[in-house]
Amino acid sequence: MSDIKLGVSLFSFSTDYVKGILSLEDCIRSAAEMGAEGFELVGTTMLRSYPYATDKVLGEIKSMTDAYGVDFVSYGANTDRGLRSDRDLTEEEMLQSTIIDLKTANKLGCKMMRAQYLLSPSAIGKLAPYAEAYGVKVGVEIHNPEYPTSPKMQEYLEVIEKSGSEYIGFVPDFGCFATRPNKIYWDQALENGAPLELLELAAKLRYDGVPRQEAAKRLKDAGANGPVMGAFNGMYGFVQFSHEPDFEGLKKIMPHVIYFHGKFHYIDENLEEASIPYGDILPIIQESNFNGYIMSEYEASDDALGMTKRHLQMQRNILGN
Amino acid sequence: MAVSLKMPFVDAVVDDSLKQTYVNGEKIGYEFQIRLSNYRGHYLSCIEELSFTVDGNKIDATNFTFTLNDKEFTVSQLPNLISEFWRVTDAATIKVYTPGGVEPGEHHISLTLMLRIPYMPIPGNAEGLNYALLDACGSKTLTVKE
Repeated sequence: MSDIKLGVSLFSFSTDYVKGILSLEDCIRSAAEMGAEGFELVGTTMLRSYPYATDKVLGEIKSMTDAYGVDFVSYGANTDRGLRSDRDLTEEEMLQSTIIDLKTANKLGCKMMRAQYLLSPSAIGKLAPYAEAYGVKVGVEIHNPEYPTSPKMQEYLEVIEKSGSEYIGFVPDFGCFATRPNKIYWDQALENGAPLELLELAAKLRYDGVPRQEAAKRLKDAGANGPVMGAFNGMYGFVQFSHEPDFEGLKKIMPHVIYFHGKFHYIDENLEEASIPYGDILPIIQESNFNGYIMSEYEASDDALGMTKRHLQMQRNILGN
Repeated sequence: MAVSLKMPFVDAVVDDSLKQTYVNGEKIGYEFQIRLSNYRGHYLSCIEELSFTVDGNKIDATNFTFTLNDKEFTVSQLPNLISEFWRVTDAATIKVYTPGGVEPGEHHISLTLMLRIPYMPIPGNAEGLNYALLDACGSKTLTVKE
């Protein structure tokens, strides 16, 4: 029997935060007002004392969570492998930085942390005892174009299963189950002069699984301009889609899911996401033994508060509560 | 092929930030502020290029500095600053040395600011230092405060 809690990643409000329209307090208050039980905060965006949690910052955040009655439950850590200008960070160096992130998450009171896939499977394995010691469960984000049973994620699964630890696992991002082209990029491309029939051709090539280079050539031969190729790069990059999302893979990794990123780009007035099949995804989670959070994560800019409110309501409708 | 992204959330050159700098009562140069237009902050070592022109003239790296987190850095130090974080809401100050300051009135500042996106290796080029770039360039005409 599942027990699903709905939370909001404050990442959803990043654009308004960067522009100075919303303060951190506005973000936390808004999440609470929308009915989120908990929230996630990405350190590189909203933690003033990044990568640390100073006593001052901790006190400020605590006064906000107390006042608005919402829990700070997950810390979004980044894996910046390309930090140095002369070489990539080694696996050991990335592991060490992630241990600092664990300390920060622990001090902030978070029980969960997101890690990114540049932290290798073997580093995740080595992280497990530290995660247990700090009491923070670490999930590797499964972000489009990866999916639960993609070869890379299967390597993590092997390490996670072998470790026997409940403190390392996955944070699947629903974007990896997309069944349609990203509406925001599609509309932008149209606005910038992409002919509709060429965008449709690009989408068809993606659905048909035509290899990238060949697909690019066919598009160019058909007269594709820059905006078409920009949208095409997304379709073969971080916003891929298919007719057969990896739901079986999701079921397979479910015992190791720490929490979910409820990714969305556009929710219409009928409470439907434009490209991600929530009506198929949420029942799978509901029918599992999953006990934890889905964090709404808006990855666009316009009307973030309104869109996130819609996203939560859409999920409540599908979950039947 | 270089891949670059642009996140035009805020202006790279901050409004109303241009002012003369005085030392011992004399104009010694001028300063203005810049922002990192992105959804997250970055360590300064990720800056791949920082340069600018004022009214079309390029300023030599010896004659300007980058001030952030209460520290004033030279341009040549930037690639080594792997623990100095530029928060996405903070403005950095560019201080330019030019005795006599800048002429009163309007000046056009054009900033070139390119950053390595350290978590985004370019697909198909997974090995080595080959990351997508953040194009955080921008330009603006500012009126100098005396």
